[in-house]
Amino acid sequence: MSRPTVTIIGKDGAPSGATHPMPTVFTSPIRPDIVQQVHTGMAKNKRQPYAVSEKAGHQTSAESWGTGRAVARIPRVSGGGTHRAGQAAFGNMCRSGRMFAPTKIWRKWHIKINQGQKRFATASALAASAVTPLLLARGHQISSVPEVPLVIDSAIFEGAAAAKTAAAFKILTSVGAGADVLKAKKSKKLRAGKGKMRGRRHRQRRGPLVIYDSAVDGKELVKGFRNMPGCETCDVYALNLLQLAPGGHLGRFIVWTSAAFKALDNIYGTTTKPSELKKDFLLPSNLVSNADLTRLINSSEIQSVLRAPKGGAVTKRASVQKKNPLRNKQVMLRLNPYHATFVKEKLGEQKAPEGKPQPTAALFKEVVNQD
Amino acid sequence: MATVSNQISSDLIWEIVRNNNAYVVTRKTGGGVRFSRDPLNLKNLHTRKYAGFVNEKAVGVVPNENGGVKILSKKTSASQKPAANLTSTTYHGGKSARNSYKAVANQTAKNSYRPDLREVAVQRVSAIRRSQRPVKPEPEQKLRGNKAKKAAAATEESS
Repeated sequence: MSRPTVTIIGKDGAPSGATHPMPTVFTSPIRPDIVQQVHTGMAKNKRQPYAVSEKAGHQTSAESWGTGRAVARIPRVSGGGTHRAGQAAFGNMCRSGRMFAPTKIWRKWHIKINQGQKRFATASALAASAVTPLLLARGHQISSVPEVPLVIDSAIFEGAAAAKTAAAFKILTSVGAGADVLKAKKSKKLRAGKGKMRGRRHRQRRGPLVIYDSAVDGKELVKGFRNMPGCETCDVYALNLLQLAPGGHLGRFIVWTSAAFKALDNIYGTTTKPSELKKDFLLPSNLVSNADLTRLINSSEIQSVLRAPKGGAVTKRASVQKKNPLRNKQVMLRLNPYHATFVKEKLGEQKAPEGKPQPTAALFKEVVNQD
Repeated sequence: MATVSNQISSDLIWEIVRNNNAYVVTRKTGGGVRFSRDPLNLKNLHTRKYAGFVNEKAVGVVPNENGGVKILSKKTSASQKPAANLTSTTYHGGKSARNSYKAVANQTAKNSYRPDLREVAVQRVSAIRRSQRPVKPEPEQKLRGNKAKKAAAATEESS
């Protein structure tokens, strides 16, 4: 199969005429299980340690009263003169006692993830970003996007053309990605709960992710995009799974600059050619060469080894409802072929012969009673 | 399939998105029924058959602004081009219902596009057209009993 090509979009959203073959990383296996697992690990690596005070609940000289005082043996605050005296202390069940298993700052906050898994997950997330249904399933507004993956000519970003947010937004709108930014902008809501006072005041959807090549496109565009709601930027040499698959959900809408897109083959290599930048890395191969079930089932290879379906067009039913022969004539005829004549000659309606029955002939009795 | 590679099929996509996606609506009532907000879903049910955004070929029936229905269908050749992926045909409300049904049935099932969706598509057209009928005014409530009738007559005389 020849590799499909991707159109590079030029100014005003019109195709620039140039194309680029699809980098091999987009054919990597899409594995939501691996991406989710790596994502959960990575999401934990930016945590700040927190703990309750070491002293909390223990700043009293409480002692147990022992037995014989008709109160529980829990330590009690000594002294008198305040209400606090005689109250239970220390226990996790006590008011103003210590919590159960007080949190410690030396909790295992960070998770080590194998580098192979991280690379696999990144490749997988990139492959998923080129699948339109997965973008739709993540909720991206891509109805006016000319092509997925969306590649914009790097010439547009030349000379810090996207250093201002208004200019950057204009570029996104011209390539049909404006709707996704507006969706993120409109989605900004106040967070429910205590998170509001812990630096997580608002929550909002994610918009497009702009991936650039800092060597060609420069770093000015970061400033242009950084205040755009939901919009993120990322250097192609430092891709981050948390941005490629937010929440562990595959299919982030990515806007590539052409320089970044072209760099992908260099960065990831192919399934047979090792990557130039990553040591000992070959792109993961797919286990099946064709994942289309319908095509597999209808393929001549499969169809030729299947046996023909058993039975004709009409098959005998395994169990049938019992029909009453007294009501259903056809069933009665099946059981009793004489029934037709019986009905036709109205034998059932005939009267019994009148008078006394004839005595049985003597000879008949003799024959019947023979030994 | 005109996608990136033949590793990506509707079957695979369905397995990825079936547990959760942006369109699915889960309710605890009704036995935890799962609906879909996908415009290309003819029964609004979250199932493999009706998941329009997953399938390569799909039909959507949505109400038209000025009466009638709009039929959306997916182009298989443009699966990587979201802007050009959907074609839409409108059947205006002035067209007789039977003609619309026939046209929609043909559009859905002809050329073996999605023959399995023919009946459901027609049902959805019918439901949308029924919803577009003018609302009948409520009949005036009849007076019950002699007392009420007399009272009504008395007020009429006095006024």
